[in-house]
Amino acid sequence: MADTLVRAAPVQATGPRRRAGSRTRPRSGPAYLLLLPAVAILLLGLGYPVYWQVVTSLQEYGLAQQFGQPPEFVGLENYARIFAEDDLWAVVVRSLIFCMVNAAATVGIGLALALLMRAVRPWVRLVLQSCLLLAWAMPMVAAVTVWRWLFDWRTGVVNWLLVQIGFDGYAGHNWLAQPLSFFFVATVIIVWMSVPFVALSIFAGLTQVPDEVLEAARIDGAGPAQTLRHILVPMVRPVIAIVLLLQVIWDLRVFAQIRLLQDSGAPVSETNLLGNFIFELGIGRQDFAGAATVSILVLLLTVLLSWPYVRSLMKELS
Amino acid sequence: MLASLTLTACSGDSDEPSDEPAGDDDVAAEGAEITLWLAGGDTPQELRDYLIDTFAAENPGSTLTIEEVGWGDLVTRLTTALPDAANTPDVVEIGNTQSPTFTTVGAFRDLSGIYDELGGSDLLQSFVEVGSVDGKQYALPYYFGSRYMFYRKDIWTAAGLEVPTTLGEFADAVAQLKTDTQSGFAMGGQDWRNGISWVFAHGGELATVDGDTWTSTLSDPKTIEGLEAWQSIYQTASNIPATERDVAYWDFLNDGTDGAAPAAATIMAPGWARWSLGDLTTNDAGEEVRDGMADTNKWGIFGLPGVDGGLAPVFAGGSNIAISAQSQNPELAENLLRIIFSEDYQTMLGQNGLGPGNTQYTSSLGDDEFAQTMMDTAAASKLTPAAPGWAAVEAAFVYEELFQKIAEGGDVAALAAEYDDIITPMLNG
Amino acid sequence: MTAASTRRRVGRGALGALALLVAALWVFPVYWMVLSAVTPDAYLRTATPSFLPTHFTTGNIEAVVSGSGFPTALRMSLAVTLVTVLAVLVFAFLAALAISRFQFRGRRSFVLAVLFVQMLPAEGLFIAQYKMLSTASLLNSVLGISVLYTAAIVPFTIWMLRGFVASTPAELEEAAMVDGLSRFQAFLRITLPLLAPGLVASGVYAFLQAWNEFTVALVALPSESAQTLPLWLRTFLAASINRGVNWAEVMAASSLLAVPVIIFFLAVQNRMTSGLVSGAVKG
Repeated sequence: MADTLVRAAPVQATGPRRRAGSRTRPRSGPAYLLLLPAVAILLLGLGYPVYWQVVTSLQEYGLAQQFGQPPEFVGLENYARIFAEDDLWAVVVRSLIFCMVNAAATVGIGLALALLMRAVRPWVRLVLQSCLLLAWAMPMVAAVTVWRWLFDWRTGVVNWLLVQIGFDGYAGHNWLAQPLSFFFVATVIIVWMSVPFVALSIFAGLTQVPDEVLEAARIDGAGPAQTLRHILVPMVRPVIAIVLLLQVIWDLRVFAQIRLLQDSGAPVSETNLLGNFIFELGIGRQDFAGAATVSILVLLLTVLLSWPYVRSLMKELS
Repeated sequence: MLASLTLTACSGDSDEPSDEPAGDDDVAAEGAEITLWLAGGDTPQELRDYLIDTFAAENPGSTLTIEEVGWGDLVTRLTTALPDAANTPDVVEIGNTQSPTFTTVGAFRDLSGIYDELGGSDLLQSFVEVGSVDGKQYALPYYFGSRYMFYRKDIWTAAGLEVPTTLGEFADAVAQLKTDTQSGFAMGGQDWRNGISWVFAHGGELATVDGDTWTSTLSDPKTIEGLEAWQSIYQTASNIPATERDVAYWDFLNDGTDGAAPAAATIMAPGWARWSLGDLTTNDAGEEVRDGMADTNKWGIFGLPGVDGGLAPVFAGGSNIAISAQSQNPELAENLLRIIFSEDYQTMLGQNGLGPGNTQYTSSLGDDEFAQTMMDTAAASKLTPAAPGWAAVEAAFVYEELFQKIAEGGDVAALAAEYDDIITPMLNG
Repeated sequence: MTAASTRRRVGRGALGALALLVAALWVFPVYWMVLSAVTPDAYLRTATPSFLPTHFTTGNIEAVVSGSGFPTALRMSLAVTLVTVLAVLVFAFLAALAISRFQFRGRRSFVLAVLFVQMLPAEGLFIAQYKMLSTASLLNSVLGISVLYTAAIVPFTIWMLRGFVASTPAELEEAAMVDGLSRFQAFLRITLPLLAPGLVASGVYAFLQAWNEFTVALVALPSESAQTLPLWLRTFLAASINRGVNWAEVMAASSLLAVPVIIFFLAVQNRMTSGLVSGAVKG
C-alpha cells in the first residue's frame, strides 16, 4: 500500500528524476494542473471549517453566539482558560500514554499477523484475511456493544470462560470499574478494530519483497529470525512508519469507543481522554470556543508525537 | 373544556373572525410546508398520521412534514439547524431538562400569546417552568413519563413482605431480600436519576435559585439526609457495582431464559420497562417476547413511598414542544400546536401510554394499575433544576461521579461540600 | 535434509493452526453480532452464554428491513459512497502523480499541509460544516456531503498513492516517450496499469470511511429522507418512553450494514494483494 513511500522516493529524487529533468524540461505547469482538483476539494471541504476553528478558538463562542449574538474577540483567553483546567494535563498525559500503547500494540500485532499471512498456506491466509476484513467491516456501534456484552460483569462470555477454566474469582468481576482494567478493555477493542487495516497494509508491503532476495538470504545461511530482522522488517519500514503515524493520529482522538464503554458503567472522570474533553466542551457545554481550542491543542500534540517522521519527510523533500 | 372549545374554533379553517394575523391565510394559500421534529420513536405512527392529516385538513394547501431525530443526536442537530432561518424545523420536541439550554439563548418563539388557549394552567406546570424565561413561555409540555417500582410479588410474598407504605419500610424490606445472588433492590451506584428520589423524599433539593443565581444545595441538611438514606439502601440491598448506571434492570427481575433465578427482587424503572418484563410468551408475529407482567401473582408495581407515607417525588421524564424563533411560518406552526394541544390529540397520547401535557386529559391513560401508578407518581414527580448550565453538569457526568463515591461508602457531608463547589459555578454557565 | 523439511512442514502446520486461531479470535465478535441478529431480544444477555442459534428467528431482520427508512437510506449510502470513492481516487491519484513525478515550487508546503490537515480533530468542525453547506444550499444533498467526505479522505489517500506512483519506474515512461508518445500518453499506457492495486487499496479505504461515517452525516443530512445507513442504524439505538432499546434489532441492522462492505471486499480482495506482487516485480 503506502509502503514504498520513503523507500522509493529518495532513489527517485537523486537518480531518475534528474535524468528525466535533463531530457524533458522540468515544468511546474502540469504539476499545478494535476494538483488543482485535490487543492480545490481540500479548500472547499476543509478550508472554511479549519479557518472557523482557528478563529473560534480566539473568540468567545457559545450557544448564545451560535444563536446570533456577535462573538467577541478574546485573543488567547480560551487557551489560558483551558490550560488552567485542573483536569486538562491529567487527560493529556492519559491520552498520550493510551495513544502510544494502542498504536504500538496495533502495529506490533498487525506486523505479526502480516508475517503470519506470509508464512501460511494460501487457503489459510485467505481465511485469516477474510476474518480480518469482516472485523473491519463491522459498524463501530455494533462492535463496541458486542465487546461490552463480552466483558459484562454478570452475563459476559469472558467472565464465563474464565470461571469455566477454573478462575472462580472472575464470577461477577467488573472489568470497567477500575481505570486500568477499563483501559485494558478499551485497548482490546481498539486494537481489534485497527489491526485489520494495519495487517493488510503491511502484508501488501511484504509481498513487494522479491523472492530472489529471500532466496539469496537463505543460501547465505540466514535463519528465519535474521531474515526477519535484516531483510523483511527494514523493507517494510516505510509502510510501518505510515500506518504507525496514522494510528497515532487516530488513537489520540479516540472518543466514541471510550464514551460507549463509559455508558456501561465506569468511573467517568478517571477514564476521560482528549476526545471526551472536546465532546464535553462542544456538545455538552456548548462551549464551542473551548472545543476549538482543545482541537488545536490536539493538532499540536499530534505534530509533536509525529515529529521524527515529519523531520525525515522534510529532509527527503528538500 | 372551555379551552378545548376555543381550540376547535381557532384551529379550524373556519370563516369565523379570529385574532390570527392575516398572514396566516396568505401563507396557507401559497401552500407552505412546515416541519416538525420529533425526538426518538416515542410518538407512535398513528399519532403522526393524525397530525399530518389534521394539519392538512385544517390548513388547506399547506403540508406538515414530520422528521424523527434520535435523542442522542438532538442537541447537535438543534444547535446547527435552529439558528438557520432557511432550514430550521418549525416545531421541535425537546427533552424537558434540555429546554433551559435553548430557551435562555432565544432559540424559541414566545408562546405567551397563545399559552392560555393551549391549556394554560392545566398544562403540567413543572414542565412549563423549565420552558419559561422571565415569565414568558417558550416550550410547553408535550408528554411525560414516570418511574416507579417493579417487584417480584412471588419473592416478596415468600419472604412474608407486603407493599411498603413508607420509605423506611421499603429500605428494611429490600435489605431483608438481599442475598449473594439476588439484589433486594437492584440499583447501580451511578444511577442518580433514581437516587435523587431519596433526596426529594427527604425534602432536599439539588439546587435552588435566587434571582438569576443558582446554588448547588447538596450540603443542605435535608439533602444530606436523603443522600445518606440512599447510601444505606444501596449498600444493604443492591449487588450492582457502584460504577453502573442506566442498567437494563429488567434483565435482573426476569427469570433467566435458561431458567436461572432472578437476580433482583425489586427495580425502579420508567413505565415502559413493563414490556421487557414478565414470562416468555409468543406474540402474534411468532416472536418470543416477555408478556408484560401478565401473571399478577408473580409481578407487581408500586410507587416509591415517601418518608411518612404517601409517595416520594421521583424524577419525571418527558419532553417539551416549542416553535423555532426562526420559523418562516410561525402562524402555521402555532396552528400545529393547537392540534397537538387539542382534546383529541391529548387523549390519543394518553391512550398510547404517554402522559398528556394537559393534565385534564390524564384519565385517558386508562384506569388499570399501571396507568394509576403512573398518574400518582407523575403527580408527585419533580424535575431537575432549570439552570442554564444544567446541560453542562449532565455532560460532565458530575452527579454520576458523586453518587458513585457515595455508593462506595464515602463521607456524604464531605462529598456534598466538595461537589457543591464544583456544581455551583457550572449551573450558572 | 528430510529432517529440515519435515521440521519446516511441522513449523508451517503450527503456524497455520495459529493463523486459524487468530482468525477465529478476530471473527468471534462478528459472529456474536450475527448470532444476536437472529435471536429474540429476550434471549440476549443470559448468564450462561449460548454459542449457537438455539432460538433462531428472522424476525429482527424482517423488522428492520420492513421499516420505512431502509430502502432510501441504502440508496443514499450507495450514492454518497460511490461519488466519494470515485472523487477520492481521481483527485488523490492526480495529486500523488504531481508530487512524485514533478518538482515544483510549493511541493514541500503542499505535502506538509496534507499531512497536518489530517491531524486536526474533526469533532469540533460541525458548526462550520453546517453553515457552509447551508449557505451553498447543499444540505441533504449527495454532493454536499460528498465534498466533505472527499476532503476528509483525500489527504491520506494521496499518501497511499504517492507510494505506489513512486515505486513505478519513470524510466519505462521515458522509454515510451522516446517512441513518440506524449508524457501523458506514456503515463496512461505504462504507469496506470501498474497502479491498479494501489487504486484498489485506496478505494477500499475510502469505501469504508464513507460507508460507516455518521458524525458529519448527522449535521450535513438533517432530513430523514436524506439519511444514510449509519444514521438509519442510529434510529434503533434510542430508548424511548415506551420501549427499551431492542438490541437484537440493532445487531440485525448492523449486520445488514456490513453486507455491502463484504461484497465490495470480496470483489476487490484478490486484486488488492496479488496485484501488488506483480507491481513490485515489475518495479
